[in-house]
Amino acid sequence: MRRALAGVALACAIGAAPAAPAGAEPRALGLRPDVATAEGGLWAESDKAEQAARRSGERNSSPELNAYVTRVACGVAGDYCPEIRIYLMERPFFNATMAPNGYMEVWSGLMLRAENEAQLSFVLGHEIGHFKENHSIEAQRALKNRMTGAMVVGLAVAVAGAAAAVNSPSADAARSIMDATRGIVDIVYLGAISSFFAFSRENETDADGMGFRSAVAAGYDPNAGAALWRNLVEEQKKSDFEKVRREEARGGLFNTHPLSEDRIRALDTLARGGAPGRLDREAYRATIRPHLGAWLRDDLRRRDFGQSFHLIERLMAQGEDLGTLNFYKGEALRMRRKDGDLAAARLAYEAAIAHADAPAPAWRELGDIARWAPRRSARRLRDLS
Amino acid sequence: MKRLILAIALLCAAGCATANTRLASEDLPRPPAGSRILIVQPDVSLALLTAVGVQEARADWSQQGRDNIAAQLTTAMAAKNHAAEAFNPTDAVDGRVGQVLRLHKAVGESILFASYGPIPLPTKKKNFQWTLGEGAQELSRAAGDANYALFTFARGTYSSSGRAAMAVVGALAGVAIPTGQQQVFASLVDLRTGQVLWSNVVIASPNSDMREGAGAEALVKLLLKDAPL
Repeated sequence: MRRALAGVALACAIGAAPAAPAGAEPRALGLRPDVATAEGGLWAESDKAEQAARRSGERNSSPELNAYVTRVACGVAGDYCPEIRIYLMERPFFNATMAPNGYMEVWSGLMLRAENEAQLSFVLGHEIGHFKENHSIEAQRALKNRMTGAMVVGLAVAVAGAAAAVNSPSADAARSIMDATRGIVDIVYLGAISSFFAFSRENETDADGMGFRSAVAAGYDPNAGAALWRNLVEEQKKSDFEKVRREEARGGLFNTHPLSEDRIRALDTLARGGAPGRLDREAYRATIRPHLGAWLRDDLRRRDFGQSFHLIERLMAQGEDLGTLNFYKGEALRMRRKDGDLAAARLAYEAAIAHADAPAPAWRELGDIARWAPRRSARRLRDLS
Repeated sequence: MKRLILAIALLCAAGCATANTRLASEDLPRPPAGSRILIVQPDVSLALLTAVGVQEARADWSQQGRDNIAAQLTTAMAAKNHAAEAFNPTDAVDGRVGQVLRLHKAVGESILFASYGPIPLPTKKKNFQWTLGEGAQELSRAAGDANYALFTFARGTYSSSGRAAMAVVGALAGVAIPTGQQQVFASLVDLRTGQVLWSNVVIASPNSDMREGAGAEALVKLLLKDAPL
């Protein structure tokens, strides 16, 4: 019986396997797949997701910032520039996504962590690489093939795996909502979106290479990509949560972009011997400066203070924006509430108000600390003022 | 014997296609004949459920389902002597009308969660009081002073032949393999007050395939069975 079962399973699996997975050939300009294909289906769902993103309350509507990111993206997208539409989302995680219809999201957590235009251009080139090579279609085919393999091994495994695959990139919350509403929520949407997110390691490395080449071709420094990934790995090591620290920079903050030493080494190898290029650090910082405060405030909502401190220290390295940065360092300390944190927070607020860009709440927080401080330190505070 | 099979088939048909009507109030005044009812373009996403359980969105099916349901809703409104008008939301994503549409989406999701979910909110167990507020009048104004708006939302999958075969094999082996299923949610909103008067969730049976005209007709009939129209 068992053998018969495997036989039937195999027959079905072969029937469902794709005819021939397309190799990594660049997509044609102005591509629009036939509506009656799996690819057409992915596009239609991407169009729907884009409609929602377009009017999302999380969208950053600053014309200057949008124009800047679009300009940098076009610098690495080349002929594909008119096909790509960028949506800047105020979400405190390092992430960018690329859908096959040209709809791209760049999250504020990424903008906050890139140090210069060269790094931004590398990461945009990486995403556009997924687009040029049609990785989302490949990912869906690969998923199907993986599942087919699982099916042949065992029926029960395949059933469990199928459920997991459809749900995997969505949070537990999404799954529980799906259960609660008996599947009427956008299962199709989640299923389709999941396939964009689950790019394979090969696809990611491939996209790294494309991001690297397009950024270098545009005149940026060849070491930018590796430097960006290194910063992220360092930040991950500083996490308050052991689980995050232990992960090989996978999941959590960098959900969609598994990082490994291999990928960083591959970028180092590519960069070796290349002529240094431009970083455009000042221009980049000047562009994100008006948003720095709001993005840091969002970052604190993640409640991973170890990472926030690391990030703030890194942003301080150039001696710029010290009023804003010290204020949010103080905020992180105040919210963490470990022994001695309040005293340290006061020092940070005091450091902040020494700079012209200190936000008004820095004085408010100093006043609040003084108000609730034990009596004996009141005199010290008076001396300070 | 033949009669027995027929009886079982009928039972199955009744059991397979299910409806879950909720009404704001039992003694709801029905819209007078000749009411102008806005048929908001159905939001339909359908996918192929492959043998191994991966879903492939199918835009062509979604379009067919959308057009068939819209056509059947229009026919059904005409049969009740109401004036149906189609409304394409993609023309109105901006401004106040877009906000009303997104508000309906949020309220609709809450209805699904709180009135149909396994753990209904205690305050929503017996009463079905949901409203978009008087801002819904914006939609009425934008659409030629319509009186009511009828929203539909469908999601689902259809099994590939391989998947169906797997389900049979699985059943023989004692493993339940989910096959394709389609669900439709509909709601009727009074555009003067914004109140959601009625909603229904239908799980399609095999003979109400919305990709085909006859199937969509059966599905819409079930969907509107207890609608206060």
